[in-house]
Amino acid sequence: MKSVVIAIIIAIILIFGAMFFKKNENSIDQENINNVSIVNDQQIITINAKGGYIPKVSSAKAGMPTLLRFNTKGTFDCSASVRIPSMNISQVLPNSGVTDINLGNQPIGVLQGTCGMGMYPFEINFQ
Amino acid sequence: MNNQKTYTFHVHGMHCNACILVTESELSDLSYITDAKSSLKNHSVTVTGDFTNIDSSEKSLEQIAQELTVSLKPHGYSVEIEKQIHKKKWSDFKIAIPVAVLFAILFVLLQKAGLVNIIGGGKVTYGTVFIIGIVASLSSCMAVVGGLLLSMSANFDKKALEEHRKTNKRFKPQIMFHIGRIVSFFILGGVIGVIGSAFTLSTTATFILSVVIGLVMLILGINLLDTFTWAKKLQPSMPKFIARHAHSMNQVNHTLMPLLVGIATFFLPCGFTQSMQIYTLSTESFLTGGMTMLAFALGTLPVLALISFSSFSIQNSKKSGIFFKSAGLIVILFALFNLINSLVVIGVIPPIFNF
Repeated sequence: MKSVVIAIIIAIILIFGAMFFKKNENSIDQENINNVSIVNDQQIITINAKGGYIPKVSSAKAGMPTLLRFNTKGTFDCSASVRIPSMNISQVLPNSGVTDINLGNQPIGVLQGTCGMGMYPFEINFQ
Repeated sequence: MNNQKTYTFHVHGMHCNACILVTESELSDLSYITDAKSSLKNHSVTVTGDFTNIDSSEKSLEQIAQELTVSLKPHGYSVEIEKQIHKKKWSDFKIAIPVAVLFAILFVLLQKAGLVNIIGGGKVTYGTVFIIGIVASLSSCMAVVGGLLLSMSANFDKKALEEHRKTNKRFKPQIMFHIGRIVSFFILGGVIGVIGSAFTLSTTATFILSVVIGLVMLILGINLLDTFTWAKKLQPSMPKFIARHAHSMNQVNHTLMPLLVGIATFFLPCGFTQSMQIYTLSTESFLTGGMTMLAFALGTLPVLALISFSSFSIQNSKKSGIFFKSAGLIVILFALFNLINSLVVIGVIPPIFNF
């Protein structure tokens, strides 16, 4: 009985280890995507929310009107619940769609955000 | 040569505070006993003494129990053999610690595996919602709901085993939890569907709730370790004024509390539940809303059932040490995880975990 349990546990570790490495391959490319655009003097930072926030780190300009745009597609996990403690922003995103959060003019620095339970972080470097 | 050993025995007939005084004084009066401590809660007595015979052989447990019974019998008590706490305690951790670490690793791998990508962006059906429920029960929500459930279930079952409760009555609290959760999800889902808005707690309320739950889990987890008996006093139970209403108190404790906890899981901070509420409020019907949340709750059921009935195969309290210590360590890890995350969400500390 004990050996069966051990065998199952090892199998699970191998399966998830494989899935983990596979996911890593995909996400590396997405880190370098330029997700900041400027439209009509307004800066739009686009982040995809599903199983975490992608990209995890964004670079944007300080001192100009900024909009944080979240894309969701079949997002039912924690990343649907956006939390930015420093601005006391708590918002639950729709399961699929586009949601804009107005950040206003941001000073130079790092804006930290997480999902509602604190385990998926994202940050924006304002320079 | 002073050969002091400590043993714990089960005492039949202990039912009041006076019993503690009587048993302790009678046993301490025995020449070879240096200390006797009785516990009303556990119906036990722990004796320290020199248990060697005149011929220098060690008295067997049965022998000691018989001799102690002789002195307590006139008062209506009898002493039975229970586990030897003194010897087994620390060696259990040799297995419990690796098991807990293994679970922590599995938990992290599970989060990194990106199970959420199974959920597509297309039409949401009851089947989709059921799958979402399954994914949710394997996600970080497991640390909150699953952790709380494990801490509660393991504690109930540990007590049931110590009280030699029969198998068919052992798991009543766990069943009550599941009934409470599933029924409340259906009803509250229906309500959300009709009123068109979700039940959300304010940021402050969420923080307070998370911290309280984290602390409760921590205490329950420590209690499972059986190592720090002072934690037993902190263990939450029904308020005393209800408890004083006699024997039926046990029924209330075993039925009502798990039921309420099951219902309360609807309001726990879990991203999945909140997202499901958002979807449910768009259904605009009591039946559809109720069925949606019901499907979600049923999706979470397999994993939660596994957690709550995990101690099923344990038949007696003697071999249960390793299991409950492992469970205790896992609960403590989850409790710390939740407490740290509560502080992250409120903004006191920067994000620690990065899944």
